[in-house]
Amino acid sequence: MKQRTNLVSEAGKHIVLVVGTLVVILPFYLMLSFSFKSPSEIQSISGGFFGAQEMMTDRKCLKTESEGSMRSKEECTMLPIVYNYKAAFEEAPLLRYLLNGVIVTLSIFAIQVIIALPCAYALAKLNFWGRDVVFGLVIFCLLIPVHAIALPLYLMLAKFGLTNTFASLVIPWTISVFGIFLMRQFFKTVPDDLINAARMDGMSEFSIVWKVMLPTAIPALLAFAIFSVVAHWNDYYWPRIVITGDQDLMTPPLGLRMFKSDMDGNEYGPMMAAATVIVAPLVVAFLLAQRRFIEGITLTGMK
Amino acid sequence: MSQSRSHIWFVSPAVLLMFVILILPVFVAGTFSFTDYNLGSQDFRWVGWKNYESLGKFSSYKKMFTASLTYVVIVVPVSVLLGLGSAMLISSLRFGGEFYKTVFFLPVMATLLAMAYAWEFTLDPVIGVVNKFLDDGCSVGWFYKLFTGSWLGFNPTESWYGGLCNDRMPNWLGNKKYALGSISFIGIWQAFGFNMVLYLAGLTSVPRDLYAAAEMDGANSTWEKFKLVTWPMLGPTHVFVVTITSIRSFQVFDTVEALTRGGPSKSTYMMVYAMFEKGVKQNLIGMGSAITIVFLGFVLLLTLTQVYFINRKVHYS
Repeated sequence: MKQRTNLVSEAGKHIVLVVGTLVVILPFYLMLSFSFKSPSEIQSISGGFFGAQEMMTDRKCLKTESEGSMRSKEECTMLPIVYNYKAAFEEAPLLRYLLNGVIVTLSIFAIQVIIALPCAYALAKLNFWGRDVVFGLVIFCLLIPVHAIALPLYLMLAKFGLTNTFASLVIPWTISVFGIFLMRQFFKTVPDDLINAARMDGMSEFSIVWKVMLPTAIPALLAFAIFSVVAHWNDYYWPRIVITGDQDLMTPPLGLRMFKSDMDGNEYGPMMAAATVIVAPLVVAFLLAQRRFIEGITLTGMK
Repeated sequence: MSQSRSHIWFVSPAVLLMFVILILPVFVAGTFSFTDYNLGSQDFRWVGWKNYESLGKFSSYKKMFTASLTYVVIVVPVSVLLGLGSAMLISSLRFGGEFYKTVFFLPVMATLLAMAYAWEFTLDPVIGVVNKFLDDGCSVGWFYKLFTGSWLGFNPTESWYGGLCNDRMPNWLGNKKYALGSISFIGIWQAFGFNMVLYLAGLTSVPRDLYAAAEMDGANSTWEKFKLVTWPMLGPTHVFVVTITSIRSFQVFDTVEALTRGGPSKSTYMMVYAMFEKGVKQNLIGMGSAITIVFLGFVLLLTLTQVYFINRKVHYS
């Protein structure tokens, strides 16, 4: 009897969770589905998930020329899925956006580490006058969300003529007080003997940071990398403020917005194909290394 | 001392950047909030408290506070409770827990702006599947009865859903009545998976023997055990989850900018969006700075509340 009620309650829980799953998945499902289907299927809400994939003719393509002559009908006829992804990459500089995203997120992370690691080491392992003050400052700065001070930061960058540059995308994020705090907590757990041994070998403090501490910190650093990369790949607010109009500097979310504002009513398919391409890298990485991602993103939970 | 002065080289870049990037802007915003400065003009006038007075005086700013607070008041409790609920369901499952955990965490990972557009098309009055589903439901007997409440004896045409069936399905993002609710829904959709993961971590730290002890004290039902053990033992997690969700919901921007631009008739005019619109788009730096300062005040208040609760030791260990 007891076992039976257990089974019933287990089934009940699954029903609730499956309903939740359907709601959570819905926009992902729709995004993928739109990126596969033809405009007419999207307009009439038909064709299921994958659409019928009937060959379609791209009217815009017929109007363009190649090598002096108008394109033939065959050249412009293709599967809806091909049309959508082709349009996503051709009508907007999607590759450029992705490349910008990679450049910006990686430079932010690299600079954050270069600034934070030595500071964290000094706070954890060196005795110097004012150490507690500096640590207090770090804790105080944890209270200031960068999104909240975006306007004055934008003003300061504008005064130096730095808006619409790569630098403006990176500068506000160069200092990660959270990174300093996190690495300091981690370095606290590294035994002093290791550092003393390195000093006996005649290593300078500088090389201790990069050759002794850095390798021991790889696990914490990896979690921080995920935290940082996810946040800045997805960030839309800051790029929206400092980049106005110059497509060569746009990060993926900003590029997607440009795409949307340029699109005419019928381009839901290409639009969602572009969205898929932008969302995919992180989602795929997440599915491959879930545990690390969840750890990295909930890092803020350790504050 | 053998460590010489290397610490100066280690600490000073970070300290310098903290001052320039994090602390100085607060003072810059504070100063400009008392001026009528705008980018491009050479000088500016001191206007005293005028900008702050406008915040209290004009209806668009009143709507801003209403929208922001309503959003937070909807999103925080719902996403926290959904997070706790799903964490408890998942942790009590015999199989399949990992699957649900992965799925519920997906929105946290995915680029919010892209997903906002996906939601826009899902909720679209013409091509959206949500309205098609609701429309189709009108002619499905049991679904119609369930949602109009006619199975309880209510008059179906007087209910919300019944009314929609006779008229037409709502324009979720374009109608003043529904826009804030729809934006909040997307906020909840995005946030609850994060809370779930924090609660899952919190749940693993609840000692098993406490449940046995509660049972000996006569707590037999699941609800009593939850009330007696789970809920209070999650004290620190509650404080943290509520604080971080509140701060994040105050910062909502992507969905507002992409889907409603604060409209219709300012019903979704949230603070960070207002800051962006006034300060960056309209170049009213003074006004934008005043909103910045008030916004910082809210965030600080939330964080200090968190610190207060943590110092009161809401945990029982």
